[in-house]
Amino acid sequence: MTRDAENWELLQELFHLAETTPEADRERVLAEKCPDERLRRRALKIFTASSIEEPVKTAPKDSAVGTRIGPYALIRHLGTGGIGAVYLVERIAGGALQRAALKVLAPHSAGPAFVERFHREQHILATLDHPNITRMLDAGLSERGQPYLVMEYVDGAHLDDYCNQHKLGIAERLQLFLKVCDAVAYAHRSLIVHLDLKPSNILVTEDGTVKLLDFGTSKLIQTDSRLTTTVMATPAYASPEQLRNEAVTTSCDIYALGAILFELLAGTRPGNKASVAAMIERAIKEQEPEKLTAAVTPAAAEQMGLSESRLRQMLRGDLATIVQKCLRPRARDRYPSIDPLASDVQRYLSGRPVLARPQTTLYRVGKFVRRNRGGVATAAVVVVALVTSVAYAGWRQEQAVREGQRALRMQAFMYRLFKLANSNYTGKSSTTVPEFLELGVKMLPQYIKNPSDLREAQLGMAESMYENGDLDSAQKVLTDTIASAKVASDFPAEAEAEAFSGNIAYLQGQMQQGESLTAHALELSRKPGVPPAVRAWSAVYYAWNRDNEGFRSDENLRLLRYAAKECQDNKLSDRETAGVLYMLGEDLELRGQLDEAEQNFNAALDVYSKDPLAICDRSAVEGDLGYVIEMRGNAQGALPIYQNAYDGYKACTGADSPGALTIQDSQAGALLKLGRGKEALPLMEAAVPVWRKIEGSSPEISEPLYYLSRAYVQTGHFVDGEKIAKELVAVQEGKVAPTDRRFGASHMIWAEALVGQHKYEEALPHAQMADKLLQEGNGISPGAKMMNAEAHQVLMDVQAKLAQGGKSSPANESAALKKQ
Amino acid sequence: MADAGEITILLRDWRAGDPAAIEHLFELVYPQLRQIAGALFRGERPENLLQPTSVVNELFLKLIRQRSLRFEDREHFYSLSARLMRRVLVDHARSEGRQKRDHGIPVPLHEDLAWIDARPAEMMDLDRVLEELEQLDPRKCRMVELRFFLGFTSEETAELLNTSKATVDRELRFIRGWLYDRLHEE
Repeated sequence: MTRDAENWELLQELFHLAETTPEADRERVLAEKCPDERLRRRALKIFTASSIEEPVKTAPKDSAVGTRIGPYALIRHLGTGGIGAVYLVERIAGGALQRAALKVLAPHSAGPAFVERFHREQHILATLDHPNITRMLDAGLSERGQPYLVMEYVDGAHLDDYCNQHKLGIAERLQLFLKVCDAVAYAHRSLIVHLDLKPSNILVTEDGTVKLLDFGTSKLIQTDSRLTTTVMATPAYASPEQLRNEAVTTSCDIYALGAILFELLAGTRPGNKASVAAMIERAIKEQEPEKLTAAVTPAAAEQMGLSESRLRQMLRGDLATIVQKCLRPRARDRYPSIDPLASDVQRYLSGRPVLARPQTTLYRVGKFVRRNRGGVATAAVVVVALVTSVAYAGWRQEQAVREGQRALRMQAFMYRLFKLANSNYTGKSSTTVPEFLELGVKMLPQYIKNPSDLREAQLGMAESMYENGDLDSAQKVLTDTIASAKVASDFPAEAEAEAFSGNIAYLQGQMQQGESLTAHALELSRKPGVPPAVRAWSAVYYAWNRDNEGFRSDENLRLLRYAAKECQDNKLSDRETAGVLYMLGEDLELRGQLDEAEQNFNAALDVYSKDPLAICDRSAVEGDLGYVIEMRGNAQGALPIYQNAYDGYKACTGADSPGALTIQDSQAGALLKLGRGKEALPLMEAAVPVWRKIEGSSPEISEPLYYLSRAYVQTGHFVDGEKIAKELVAVQEGKVAPTDRRFGASHMIWAEALVGQHKYEEALPHAQMADKLLQEGNGISPGAKMMNAEAHQVLMDVQAKLAQGGKSSPANESAALKKQ
Repeated sequence: MADAGEITILLRDWRAGDPAAIEHLFELVYPQLRQIAGALFRGERPENLLQPTSVVNELFLKLIRQRSLRFEDREHFYSLSARLMRRVLVDHARSEGRQKRDHGIPVPLHEDLAWIDARPAEMMDLDRVLEELEQLDPRKCRMVELRFFLGFTSEETAELLNTSKATVDRELRFIRGWLYDRLHEE
């Protein structure tokens, strides 16, 4: 029966040999391989047969065309959507011929689940009214009992085909993509997620109008429930969580939009080569998608009229970042909604900086971290900072040749330094980090003779000192560096040292000096030859510190945005970029621009979360992120973020550090907002004594005192609350301007403590003072506005009580009591 | 047994040669494949979603989600589904009865799922020749089933069988010639 059985392997070998041998040699080569002529002939016969082309049969005629469904005549089969066939139909309505698309549930899919899905689509389409979404015109049951939907007929091409047929460039493709975003964002606002976005569900008409089709898979977002879907979307565009059958959210659509953008730009889908099984595996393992630039196909480049390398070059950077941010395996790492995605695309189109985090490689340890950590960096970190700061000078092309020698000298220096720091030389059991650095500064000139290299190394040392919390020593080194740079007209070093030094001056409370140094640095940084990092940080230090001190101007915000753009355009290291984005975020937060602030914080967090050495930075950003979320009225949502920040600070600087304590204050604040004073109270009772140790009776302690006092009032400990409020006002007296809002807040809580004790007459002046200071205090942040409202309410309540005769019965509860 | 789902166990039984296992699996997958086949034979030829690959993928995902199948058993699952799709078509052909054939049998081996158009008689012959191939080289038979009955691409076939696309293409060229020869002789 199986007559080829004996020679099966040999037969194949001969076949493949025949394939790869030119016809003229074929007989000879095969004969050399196999003496059996019968077998050779068999192999050649199979070979000949393998290339016979069968005529491709034409698809059978669609039997439905020419019939009617309801009042509609079926003209042409348009395609097959999620669950049924779609036909071009016509009907006479009001004397006019009307064309439409009719979708009828295919008989083989008429299970209850499909019917339900069909009805859902009908229901959802009926609620949507948007120029880029196909409109529903009619729905009904056919004579054969099949449900059908009639929709606006769109005579257009699939999005990808349209782009390719018209040979659209990147910008035109992005314009179309933005229209898709607009339609999807509209659906999201209508609480509908599409869940099956793909180019074949998006039509573009000849005049460029975009129409979104097929809401057959979509879902209504119910505000509380976590949705899952058992309906299968097209795997290539389905988000990992869809593939894993986890809760689906609007983020699934963002993923799909990313996949579409990927395809429009690279000419192939992300993971095009992968089978569905491989896609599921990827989803389960949360693997990152392939890189946009690596996926570029020659066909895509040709369609856009570009060379492959040029297209890759254009996609690198912002566009790759945008796409990647959509395609992150975890929903929380993607764009939080379509708006920031669309605005990043807009930004790209108008040449402005994109907010999504760029992927860069240059890594510079902890350069210019604004926050004064107070913690002790380990010697290893310091050494890394030192070495990288020297290596960093590589941006100067003319210096590249010298890099090798420099690295050697640096190595010799480090070796010597470690030797000297060894106990055998110093005679001490161990060398502390400050001593180590001090020694390094002294020794540097012996090892690094080139003055410009020396300044570079000094900057590195100063940075390490700063990181180590030793601002005075850092400032001394910087002053030397500035002086030598001035003499040598080394603008880049001068600008960098001045910017850095100015920032330290601000931190030490020398505002005037800080401003003049940073202003000069900013001016110098505009000179040619200054590296982008120095340009960016000069702008940041100048603007951020000014704003932080209350000079809030649009010019400052503009400078911060400029710095962020410099980082992104010039592919500065992730950490450097993250640092700038964090400061931009903080500035926006001060201005109450919470959405944008949050985006920047998230972008910075993206970087910091990946780096175990950045735990302090991460905690600082989380502190701010929590605050933004709290300001949005979501104190509950802020709590876990604060907890992360607290844990981070605890690991980084210790539980008794100002960082950790500040977060504890925030936690207490959020708990108080939620009426969970019982939980806030122990936090503040623990934190305040530590604060007292650190700050004594400086006004810095007002915030912790304020929360402690509020916690007492909220838990009904009015006497304790009054005591702390009194202390709070005393701490501020004479040190804070008498019109300062902080005074207002202190008096407000004092008034509330008195109200709790039914001492309305005593409470009245405090309530009045609070109301006055807070109303006049020009608070613009949402938090400030909340406080203004609260102070006003307290005053109204006190006045009402006094009007009733002042002596209240316990049943007549006060405003403060009501809060419990 | 907590980890291995129901289907996983059935698949393993099947691989171990338990004939009862395939009947259970058959009941599970057959109705869905039957539906597509029916639609195909009626001449409704869905362009996108209702290709057997999609249906089987959907089923695969469903079983994974229900944890009745383990991801590691995907190769068995897809191979089995391909085998079943073949069986569906042959059953269909058999029920239509053997018809007189007018000319040579086209080999259903070009890029699209050409077997859709195969007449019942052709299908029966193809099945017989594939049975022969199964005896000769079961791996190649599986390749044909995946590629031309389930509609897998060469890449997908290669990925599932843990080999390269080039190898799949190369082997399929041979099989194509061999099948053609077998179907056109006598």
